[in-house]
Amino acid sequence: MSDTGIGASVLRKEDRRFLAGRGNYVADIAAAGEVALAFVRSPVAHGRIRSIVKPEGAENRVFTADDLDGVEPMRAPSKLPGYKPADFPALAIDKVRFVGETVVACAGATRAEAEDLAQAVEVDYEELAPAVDMLEARKPGAPLVHDAWGDNIALATRTDGDMDSVRARAAHSVTREFRMSRQAMVPMEGRAVLAEWNPRMDQLIVHTATQVPHLIRAGLATFLGLEQRQVRVIAPDVGGGFGLKTYVQPEELVACWYAMKFGRPARWISDRREHLIADANCREHHYIVTAHADEEGKILGLEGEVTVDAGAYSIYPFTNCLEAAMAGGNLPGPYAIEAYGVKTWTVVTNKPPLVPYRGVARPGVAFAMEMLVDAVARTVGREPHEVRMINMVPASAMPYTNIAKKTFDSGDHAGAVAKAVQMIDIEAVRERQARGEPDGRLIGLGFGSYVEQAAHGTSVFASWGVQMVPGYEQAGAKLTPDGGLELRVGVQSHGQGMETTLAQVASEILGIDPENVSVIHGDTGLTPYSTGTYASRSIVMAGGAVSRACKVLVERMQTIGAHLLQCERDEVRVADGRVMGPSGDLPFSEIGRVWYMNPEELPADVDTDGIEAVVGYRPEPDHGTFSYSTHAAVVAVDTDTGAVEVLDYVVVEDCGTMVNPMVVSGQVYGGAAQGIGTALFEESPFDELGQPLASTFADYHLPGAAEVPAFRLAHMVTPSPHTEHGIKGMGEGSTIPTPAVIGNAVNDALRRYGAEVNETPISPRRVLAAISAARGEAA
Amino acid sequence: MTEISLTINGAPVTASVEPRTSLADFVRDSQRLTGTHLGCEHGVCGACTLEIDGEPMRSCITYAVSCDGASVTTIEGFDDDEVMEDLRQAFTENHGLQCGYCTPGMLVTARDIVRRLPEADEKRVRLELSGNLCRCTGYVGIVRAILAVLEKRRG
Repeated sequence: MSDTGIGASVLRKEDRRFLAGRGNYVADIAAAGEVALAFVRSPVAHGRIRSIVKPEGAENRVFTADDLDGVEPMRAPSKLPGYKPADFPALAIDKVRFVGETVVACAGATRAEAEDLAQAVEVDYEELAPAVDMLEARKPGAPLVHDAWGDNIALATRTDGDMDSVRARAAHSVTREFRMSRQAMVPMEGRAVLAEWNPRMDQLIVHTATQVPHLIRAGLATFLGLEQRQVRVIAPDVGGGFGLKTYVQPEELVACWYAMKFGRPARWISDRREHLIADANCREHHYIVTAHADEEGKILGLEGEVTVDAGAYSIYPFTNCLEAAMAGGNLPGPYAIEAYGVKTWTVVTNKPPLVPYRGVARPGVAFAMEMLVDAVARTVGREPHEVRMINMVPASAMPYTNIAKKTFDSGDHAGAVAKAVQMIDIEAVRERQARGEPDGRLIGLGFGSYVEQAAHGTSVFASWGVQMVPGYEQAGAKLTPDGGLELRVGVQSHGQGMETTLAQVASEILGIDPENVSVIHGDTGLTPYSTGTYASRSIVMAGGAVSRACKVLVERMQTIGAHLLQCERDEVRVADGRVMGPSGDLPFSEIGRVWYMNPEELPADVDTDGIEAVVGYRPEPDHGTFSYSTHAAVVAVDTDTGAVEVLDYVVVEDCGTMVNPMVVSGQVYGGAAQGIGTALFEESPFDELGQPLASTFADYHLPGAAEVPAFRLAHMVTPSPHTEHGIKGMGEGSTIPTPAVIGNAVNDALRRYGAEVNETPISPRRVLAAISAARGEAA
Repeated sequence: MTEISLTINGAPVTASVEPRTSLADFVRDSQRLTGTHLGCEHGVCGACTLEIDGEPMRSCITYAVSCDGASVTTIEGFDDDEVMEDLRQAFTENHGLQCGYCTPGMLVTARDIVRRLPEADEKRVRLELSGNLCRCTGYVGIVRAILAVLEKRRG
């Protein structure tokens, strides 16, 4: 292993500018003559707009849906049969469908002036009964979010399994109900856009905080009636995404419309309140799941009903149905199960749209499945880790196609459980638990396992019916005249460190120092098309493409090098940043000099495409890589206050070949901390009128350094047999099991009461309610 | 509009500001010092933390007009600071940042911890960081970085 290639913990190149305070986020960019936008947002969850009165004299600075000539409501198509598209207008048309929906746009010289104007706009609403709870909204007779639908079901699916035979053979059928609450994603940088029309380029230039610049370009062009060549989307430094920054947002469309209509740059920078009440939310799932198990705890069959609260509108491009599709496909987790049946409902309500958050549906799935596994373990009287291990797909069975038709590529799932058991020191925990705490708190131990399909490609997305199916990922690699390297990729790095890790992949192939590599990303004008950064795909896809492109450069340099070194082409190799022959070697700068400046020295058989290549890559098969992990936690539960403290937390994970172990560990820690947030703190509650009750960080609690444990982490390495370098995707993974791990630990602690929590976040109130319910008291 | 005179990163500045303008907006928009980031604008997340007269403060809930006569140091003003140099090195070595958005505020708070609490242990460092939110790192690298600098300075 080289000290700068794959496998090295190279310190991140991007750190320097961030540490110096010289990052460059959308809000840091100023454009001459720009205006700031502010929005009048709906104060009611469901209503008809009776009238809008613009302040006198401000007609040219205040805009309603009627003013947005040429702007189409956003439609996210899906080919899934029965899908009802819930078009998302840039500004509300006739009806408002959630608190925070954009109704009127106001332009001012500063944001403060735009907000002053917004205060002066008068909107009269006829309030309608809202659909707030997804289970109520699913029923006939519920208030209709979209009048023409006849119900609130955007999509219902059903997968039938041979359940009768397993029901008959099962010694135990264990049923549980789980709910994962709605929450916000809260990247530290909110959403931000600066749109400008450039007459010289005949182009709308949009700086926007996004993970998927090429998809945003497609959406903006579609909804603004432009050709895609007329839109350039640039994502500069982006302050975290986590899934939030993958959809075209109403405010973005309005800023673009304004820039085109008035020929002035328009900016909108979300504030935190706008994020918490009006941006897309995430996570809200409900499950009823049943495991049919034998006496040993072997799960023969699994049945589930999954309901997803998708909010009012379907987001472009991934639609509001992806969550339910993923939930249905992932419920069996890492387990070998004979029979599986699942029904899913995607329900619209008078709440903000739902967008996939880190882990997508799988944190909810794991919350249901992993806590069901523990319920099975309690039923059969075995340790939960043992029940996991006997149900897992064994390493010897890899590659393995599971009951939901997912083909695990490689790995030793039970081995990860065993390692976690060892690290958490189960004997010591059980002893401590039996001994009792001096302060009277109860100790609980919880496990959670998952398999993370990542970088899933064409076949998977095509089966989900979405419009934007990823195909061959392309990367550009260009040797510069002085022997440096430029990489161009269409993905976007917003914390993942790809300016370093992709340079490491190039270093692995070319031996070039990552310091001499520039990674250009996040700009549709400078990079090859890509569907962008989501689904933990970027290091697999862009990393693989960079590897392939660099290999093409090697071949091209070999031809030129052989000529200059006066030897045969097959005697030349490229290593350590040099072109080496039997009797001498050249720096890359010599190859660059000859190609660009002194082509008279080139050989006759030179590849006329030069020392620049754009190469496409897709793993085959393209069904995705399967990282996996087991987490274990010890908690202390105070049964007087309901408070839960995480005392110890271990992670054993396997994501195949690690390009940069330091970066991998950082993703694991960060994901697990977000999982702790979901497990214990984060919730966007709504009252019965659909009013959001968490609109500041005083109501919406994020985990801080004092609440997050000092995670202990161990890596296993089982390379993927299907990808370049054996890399597997892993960026989202550790958010997946955490709520279940904490939930299982709490339920283990509460076992003496026969109490179980089954809803996130596991707040003090819910812990106390679970204890009360088990004691037969009214909550 | 109110006229204020203050020192920003060692240089004198005189400007007219609206009474409602926050110090964060003032340094970002008027002074183009964009290293001070806004994460919540209600004083919880700490991304906008900078130094006023040697103390870490949240610039999003500090009015610019209240800083007349003050000495303000933003992240851009610590380039020659020895403690900050150690912290920057430790943050990169311990992977204490990912997206970089919370980083300037985190560094200002970290510098305060290092100077004020030379004997701080991990628990104390975590407690002291409770006014600065990070969504990327799980705080692991941040805590390690601060502990590394404390350790180095203890010799």
